[in-house]
Amino acid sequence: MPAEEMGKVTDRMRFVFAVSSLIFLAVLAISPFKDYRREWKQYKRSYLRFAQGRPDTKRLTADYSPDIDQIWLPGLNVVDRCTTCHLGITQASLADKSVPQPFRAHPPIPHNVREWGCTICHRRQGPATEVAEAHESTLAWEQPALPAHFIQASCGACHQSDLLQTPQLVKGRQVLAELNCVGCHKLQGIERPAMLGPDLSSIGTKVSREWIYKWLKEPRTIVDKDGNVTVNGVETEEEPRMPKFRLTEDELKALSGYLSVQRVKALVPYKISPAVVTAWSKNPELISQGELRFRQMFCSTCHSLAVTRAGETKLIGGDIGPELTKVGSKVNPDWLGAWLRDPESYLPHTRMPRYGWSDEDLYKVTQYITTKLFDSDLLSNVPKLDPPTDAEIQAGRRLFTEKGCASCHVIEGISPQKDFGPDLSALGGKNASELEFGTAKIPHNLLSYIQAKLQDPVSVNPAARMPQYNWEPGDLDAVTTALLSMKGAPPTSALQNLVVPRKEVSFHPTGSFAEVYERYKCYTCHKFNGFGGDLAPDLTYEGSRAHRQWLIEFLKNPQTLRPTLILRMPQLNMSDKDAATLADYLSMVMQHPSVNPAATDAKQFTPAMATLGKQLYEVKYQCQSCHTIGGSGGYVGPNLNNAGGWLTPAWIEAWLKNPQALVPDSIEPRRNFTDQEIQALTAYLMTLRAGSKPQKTANNFGSQNSAVGAGR
Amino acid sequence: MRIRDSVIVALATAALFNAAGCLKHAEPAKADPLLASYDAEPDWSDSTKMIPLGYQQAQGKRVFYQYCVWCHADATPAGPSNRSNLTPVPPLLNDGGTLNPESDEFMQNIITLGGSAMGKSAMMPPYGRTLSAEEVRSVIAFTRAIAQPPYQPPGRPGSQYSAK
Repeated sequence: MPAEEMGKVTDRMRFVFAVSSLIFLAVLAISPFKDYRREWKQYKRSYLRFAQGRPDTKRLTADYSPDIDQIWLPGLNVVDRCTTCHLGITQASLADKSVPQPFRAHPPIPHNVREWGCTICHRRQGPATEVAEAHESTLAWEQPALPAHFIQASCGACHQSDLLQTPQLVKGRQVLAELNCVGCHKLQGIERPAMLGPDLSSIGTKVSREWIYKWLKEPRTIVDKDGNVTVNGVETEEEPRMPKFRLTEDELKALSGYLSVQRVKALVPYKISPAVVTAWSKNPELISQGELRFRQMFCSTCHSLAVTRAGETKLIGGDIGPELTKVGSKVNPDWLGAWLRDPESYLPHTRMPRYGWSDEDLYKVTQYITTKLFDSDLLSNVPKLDPPTDAEIQAGRRLFTEKGCASCHVIEGISPQKDFGPDLSALGGKNASELEFGTAKIPHNLLSYIQAKLQDPVSVNPAARMPQYNWEPGDLDAVTTALLSMKGAPPTSALQNLVVPRKEVSFHPTGSFAEVYERYKCYTCHKFNGFGGDLAPDLTYEGSRAHRQWLIEFLKNPQTLRPTLILRMPQLNMSDKDAATLADYLSMVMQHPSVNPAATDAKQFTPAMATLGKQLYEVKYQCQSCHTIGGSGGYVGPNLNNAGGWLTPAWIEAWLKNPQALVPDSIEPRRNFTDQEIQALTAYLMTLRAGSKPQKTANNFGSQNSAVGAGR
Repeated sequence: MRIRDSVIVALATAALFNAAGCLKHAEPAKADPLLASYDAEPDWSDSTKMIPLGYQQAQGKRVFYQYCVWCHADATPAGPSNRSNLTPVPPLLNDGGTLNPESDEFMQNIITLGGSAMGKSAMMPPYGRTLSAEEVRSVIAFTRAIAQPPYQPPGRPGSQYSAK
């Protein structure tokens, strides 16, 4: 290039410069354009357009900002940008299904979504700003969406005490406890009780080797290929507590041999007086009398039996104790007599009460059980088993710990392997990469893993020691929910303060009451200061509620106050002294702090008040819709035929003021009575007496479908 | 040619991932045939049909089965129903013919204040001092969910979002 032309700008250079500038500008513009086209920005703009078309535009856009919204809760590890696109999440007017997603309002829940964020319940990826990345599981995040069906698991991560609003979670925790999962696994919030499976230290005195063999091979509860659960061939909805272990023939022989020689406590047969035996043994009424007694004592409150009605055989009765349809061909008759007289001496921590037995009753009932609850074919499929050899016993002893039997059952001299199963107390927070899926053809996520493992433990791990359980579909999902809720200790102290722990309660009375209370196992069904079962009424305030004399009569001859119940208080054949001990303690100690029966003077109630009360009861408030007096009225509340003989006036007054203050889950609605009306109603109820004995209620219901709600 | 191949492969992979994503979504939450399921209710007039319930409706189901079922259903958790004892006979909760025409406000009032306050039978007691307003709303939501014939919410007149 000549020197004079240096520095001269030619047209050609201008053109090149212009084009490259344009290209440069275009390249520069890509970035803002891409930014403008970002997914979340498009949602933002489309929300604005959507809000314009709504009548309440102003309210819908009040909080609008064009940037990314973020909910940041450092103590909870929450960084949620979901509300960037889910803009209408707290707008009540956008609740309708016609509102397009992602703008629809969240259904009403007890927490404010803007305060808590979304991933704390729904999982998924909070910090993501792209639809796919937020909602799908990616390798980097590994927390897939929790399906709404299991959402209560998220409530349980913080609310470790049971909530009314989360029935599925509560059920799951109950099933985990009932099935003794803590025998092998560590579970958050479920403590190991004093007894899991029965103590087997003296099992050899109770059942034969053949029976043990059959039980181990096929626990009597069987699920067929259609998923129907049967106990002894009878259909049921109950889940067996004893699962099926996958045992070989040799293992079955060794374990049954080992168990059949366990006789730590020798059996001391009880000799029924020969006079009773001679008087009854030839009596044709013996068995039917025994059956009658069995029914009168209400054994069915805890034990179920197969009953055939209208061609359909069903198990009827409670599930606190074992099902008894074929128990006569299971247990040694001498053992049965000794057991019924004193269950605790064979099995410490049993929930079976010690009934008061006369020789006559004991003879009749044991004869009924061994004759009628009997099936000669029960052991017909079991091979002939000789007395066990030493080698079998040794092998059985080894298997007892190796198979995990010792984790639930006690045998003297055997200590269970520590941490037999994996610790599950933080299972709910695990990432898929921490789980072994083996060759299982299931989606690789925690939920599928838990369900596959529960349904068939060997499907995800062929070497699994976990036995086979049978699940009702509802229970499977409930247990899955409970396991998903166990996310271990909260990550930070900030969250620790939010966790509501499970309440530990126990009630250990002392003195003569304690002895009677332990003997009759009152706590199997009743609650005392929060401790005990929930089959029957809570007795924490019984002293405020019932007259002492009524308690004594009731304990000696329990009658149901609720016509719809089929599970009833057993007839324990209590002595006068025992009944008085219990009634004294209940009326002196188990009182509501503000309901003192001694403080209300019954003389203040005049006949005029009672007349007014009767009118209020029948006309103004129509209490007969739920309560029975005489022969008419409803079945929802207890019958009030003997209200005056049963309830103290102080309790009636307090109850009418606010039933839920005395029994929090009572369904009796709290009314707006005036003080005068309360006095009148109390006066009327006090006039209702049924003589010295509580009136037996006519059981109007032939059908006995279910016993849920017993004692309520 | 190379580029086109790799684009096809990439597209196919993406489609596969998408399909996998869809599968994952469709897989859980199978319908539970039991009454015990908290987030679904069998259609009372056709027990093979399950009606899925949202959070509020599921809370309503829980409240209903504790407080209301005894008089507003023919089968109760304890077996028999108190319904036949009462005159006038209380409507079944799924009786859309009777309950659909009633507004949410009326339902809220009769549950809260009781039958006599609303000119109906005094046998319906007031639950306003026992249940929270939220619980009452949830029972109404449950009622609407199981109604037969199905409940149609009244649309805001003139609104493009009103239900047709």
